[in-house]
Amino acid sequence: MNRKIANIICYALPVPVLVLSLFIGSSENTDFGTYISLLYKKLSDGLNATETESYNMISNIIWNVRLPRVVLTFLIGAALSTSGTVLQAIFRNPLVDSYVLGISAGAAFGAALSITYGGVPVNIAAFIGGTLAVLATYSMAGSGKQSSIVSIVLAGMVVSGMFTAFLAIVQYISNPYKLQAIVQWTMGNLHAASWIELKQTLIPVIAGLLIVFIYRWRINLLALGDDAAKAVGVNPALDKLILIGCATLMTATTVAAAGIISFYGLFLPHIVRMLIGADNVKAIPGNIFLGGTFLLVIDNFSRSLFAFEVPVGIFTMLLGGPFFIYLMRKNKINWA
Amino acid sequence: MRKNNIIIQNLHIRYGKKSVLHDVNMEFPANKFSVLLGANGSGKSTLFRAIAGLHAKYEGSITIAGANSAAMQFKERAKLMGFLPQFYQTVFPFTVEEIMLTGRVAFSGFSPAKHDRELLEQVLHDLDLTHLRKEPFTVLSGGEQQMIMIGRLLMQNPKIIVMDEPTNHLDVYYQNYLMRKLKAYANNGVTVIAIMHNPTLAYQYADEFFFMNNGTVINSEQCSIPDLERLQEVYKTEFLHVEHNNLKIVLPNLK
Repeated sequence: MNRKIANIICYALPVPVLVLSLFIGSSENTDFGTYISLLYKKLSDGLNATETESYNMISNIIWNVRLPRVVLTFLIGAALSTSGTVLQAIFRNPLVDSYVLGISAGAAFGAALSITYGGVPVNIAAFIGGTLAVLATYSMAGSGKQSSIVSIVLAGMVVSGMFTAFLAIVQYISNPYKLQAIVQWTMGNLHAASWIELKQTLIPVIAGLLIVFIYRWRINLLALGDDAAKAVGVNPALDKLILIGCATLMTATTVAAAGIISFYGLFLPHIVRMLIGADNVKAIPGNIFLGGTFLLVIDNFSRSLFAFEVPVGIFTMLLGGPFFIYLMRKNKINWA
Repeated sequence: MRKNNIIIQNLHIRYGKKSVLHDVNMEFPANKFSVLLGANGSGKSTLFRAIAGLHAKYEGSITIAGANSAAMQFKERAKLMGFLPQFYQTVFPFTVEEIMLTGRVAFSGFSPAKHDRELLEQVLHDLDLTHLRKEPFTVLSGGEQQMIMIGRLLMQNPKIIVMDEPTNHLDVYYQNYLMRKLKAYANNGVTVIAIMHNPTLAYQYADEFFFMNNGTVINSEQCSIPDLERLQEVYKTEFLHVEHNNLKIVLPNLK
């Protein structure tokens, strides 16, 4: 793939997609042209009463409904794909992401407990659940030489299954009103996004992305394994702890905000690798930007294709899957 | 000036209840090319991993350039010593350059410095690997991969080079090429120690010979003449000593 095109896709695409996303949605008369002409008129000759009313409505929809959703979607996409890249590198395994390793299920269980019983905020409960899950997977798979690609995936599936079962128990024993809230949220929805929701997501995700970005060169070394790191004078334990911590924090935050979006963190890192190469110095910023942009594109489809809104988790599979297969066949990537 | 030697005293290593190494007392001398020979599974790799700090659980002491190895920080060791493990693997198609630059992470922290890139050019040039620099590591042959990992080790500018089977996967040309390089490093004041499986090759280049037998190390007393008795003891195979055009050649007697 041409470097220039790849860079344009990763770094120039986000701006038009972000702007475009503000004007896509189920409300009538909120297209780009209407808004701009009203805005122009307001600034030049002033608006009459009906025009003022419709301008206020449109700008309310754009700034208070769509903008928080668009920003939240971008952050979630960036967080999931960056977490996926980090986990694939540290576990030296192209088949893992936060969903496969059980982090998402653990976070969902924690969040569901908090929704049902309260006490701890949803965000924090999700983080605790995710941490427990990743610890369980890591210790079950066995670190170091014994942990083969297969044993990590197996351990992740077992942990994921167990936390999904715990989640089902919580759903089973909770009352109907709370059950509905839990079910809606686990399906991976973004439609409830508001500035309040966004504020809770913004800080943990930005912090996680920033730390991973700083560590991006070291991730190359960690991807070669513990011995290869120790042989050149780096104790991998601390780096791994920090990076897995960041991946867990970001995943748990996205789960608390929008439920489980599976598969996205698995294939997006592969797409970025095919576009700009395996070097994490370039792949980490690539994942942050393309990860955010691509989820926005998917979300735009999910809220404009039908009269009703389809949960974004469904469209990540329907659109991402074929695109991934296409790139895979085209690039003939060699996995050792 | 510090002597870059390695002194091992009363070293014992166990895996569970099984004793792998016992009563190892030896010295790898400074600025020499030393070779450790021994049968498969005799504990050579365990000894080298302990020296490289990858196997922390042992009794006895390992002293590297006058400092106690057990108390050494990873970074401190990396400044002094480069280690080539027997096995390495990467699933991701990193390019040769990217792999080699990871040898500088302990020194440069969060992004490669200008000096690191200069060093990369020099090592690529020294090892004749410049044409491979943009190739993905995963598509290279075993021998090419081995040369890249050796290059990564040299990126550390080590005073002591520790290699577990460096000629593994290399063809005859590269075997001799690498051995000449290692000999040249030793002549330029670097301590080189290597595990080898080919006594013929080892005896053509190395300065000092050690034998691992039954979990302990025997130092070969006399270096100018190949120690045929020890070879036979270690490998359970008879060896011949042939001289041809002033070349001393050690060969297994396969009769």
